[in-house]
Amino acid sequence: MKNYVKLFNFEMGRFLKGYLALVGFTVIVQVLGAVITSRSYTNKINEHVYHEGMAIDEFLSQFGDMSMYAIIHSLWIQGPILFCISVLLIYTLLIWYRDWFGKNTFIYRLLMLPTERMNIFFAKLTTIMVMVLSLVALQIMLLPVLNKLMGSLVPEAYFMNLSFKEMISGFNVLTILFPFSFSNFMIHYGLGLLAVSLIFTAILFERSFRLKGIVYGILYIALSLLILFSPVIMIAITETSYLYPLELFYFELILCVLVFVMSILTSRFLLNKKITV
Amino acid sequence: MIEVKNIKKNYGRKQVLKGVSFTANKGEITCLIGVNGVGKTTIMNAIMGLTPINSGEILIEGKQLDKTSYEKITFIPDAITMLPQMKISDAMAFMNDYYQCWNQKRANDMLKFFRLEKESRISELSKGNRAKVNLLLGLALDVDYVLMDEPFSGIDIFSREQIAEVFTSHLIENRGVIITTHEIHDIEHLIDKAVLLDDGVIIKEFNAEEVRENEGKSIVDVMREVFRV
Repeated sequence: MKNYVKLFNFEMGRFLKGYLALVGFTVIVQVLGAVITSRSYTNKINEHVYHEGMAIDEFLSQFGDMSMYAIIHSLWIQGPILFCISVLLIYTLLIWYRDWFGKNTFIYRLLMLPTERMNIFFAKLTTIMVMVLSLVALQIMLLPVLNKLMGSLVPEAYFMNLSFKEMISGFNVLTILFPFSFSNFMIHYGLGLLAVSLIFTAILFERSFRLKGIVYGILYIALSLLILFSPVIMIAITETSYLYPLELFYFELILCVLVFVMSILTSRFLLNKKITV
Repeated sequence: MIEVKNIKKNYGRKQVLKGVSFTANKGEITCLIGVNGVGKTTIMNAIMGLTPINSGEILIEGKQLDKTSYEKITFIPDAITMLPQMKISDAMAFMNDYYQCWNQKRANDMLKFFRLEKESRISELSKGNRAKVNLLLGLALDVDYVLMDEPFSGIDIFSREQIAEVFTSHLIENRGVIITTHEIHDIEHLIDKAVLLDDGVIIKEFNAEEVRENEGKSIVDVMREVFRV
């Protein structure tokens, strides 16, 4: 356990600069987006209301009011989120491969540590999950701040304050990232954890058997998906559902746990018996 | 004692090791000799559990390798095993964090001996100095066995001499050493046992001291005979 914590801390430290760059990029782009969008709206107010004498009601009916909706569907908000997701997806591969490639062969040191090799796996898995969750937390904190910022830049009569729930309810990616209930949160991030562990196992197949390992990795992921979707496939084939929706949900939950445990045990076997430097 | 028993290893269809067996005792320097590609590094990796073997057995003090073995045996590969952005002090702290057998005093002594700066970054070191750091990180562990893969590979003559000095010092005393090297001249007189490999098999294994005394031959002479150079 002590070594796992040390390894996790070490892995976090290795990506800290990259992580801070992502945080900085997200904050700068989203704040810039809020400022630029607000400024362009206030310019319109200046032009039409103060210079041309248009009535506020007429302006609002013609241009609409200003709210977070104006930027939440734009690249200002979605861009950094999609960029962070892409970087973390790439990092899920890089977190293993960088130890094999390059001038130094750090994988030798990692595999020769006097600790269970699965601690390396769990440390890398936790690092990815913590990075994801902390970026989500940053976004949760940032949205109300952007709302306040826009409220301070746009005159009150033209600005509509939105609650956090209102802000994200119209945007699919955000509703996945910020589920409204705890059970949904557990399901979304549990599936995320499962996906990362499956990718890790596939990487370990490749690192163990090289070219053949790519095929084994793909087959392994295909098998896992087949197990996960087997109830749905059965329903589609037989066109009959023998289970109530809640029973189906619990059955899927059991299958997810089964696939996760399978991934952990396979990875353990590969790391202890098959991995090659 | 490290016992390597009839190990076989395939890379795809190519059989790199075709049943290699030898032993390495504590207090002895065993040298694996052979041209590039005969499987010397594969043997080292197999002993350390860094590559799986197809058949055979490797025992360290009569037991198969497990996580606790890494407190008894260390491997110094030909490339440094630390991150380039690390300072030497960071690398030493890393080792101290994970290994109970890390000997800080010895590490500091070696730093002085090699004239290395603790605050230097690994990426900024010359190849020779990187090899010295690699050696330091391995030899500062209080382990019974040390495996070294080509410690003199591609480094300048002065660094080579300094590294060769390590072999006559207390750093090696009472430990079992397995070394692979092409630069046999630098340490020839220190080798106790030579294992000559060719095409994945051991073609000759001999006690260097006995050959020197009884036949008046050096290891290089035997190599010339065996490899017909």
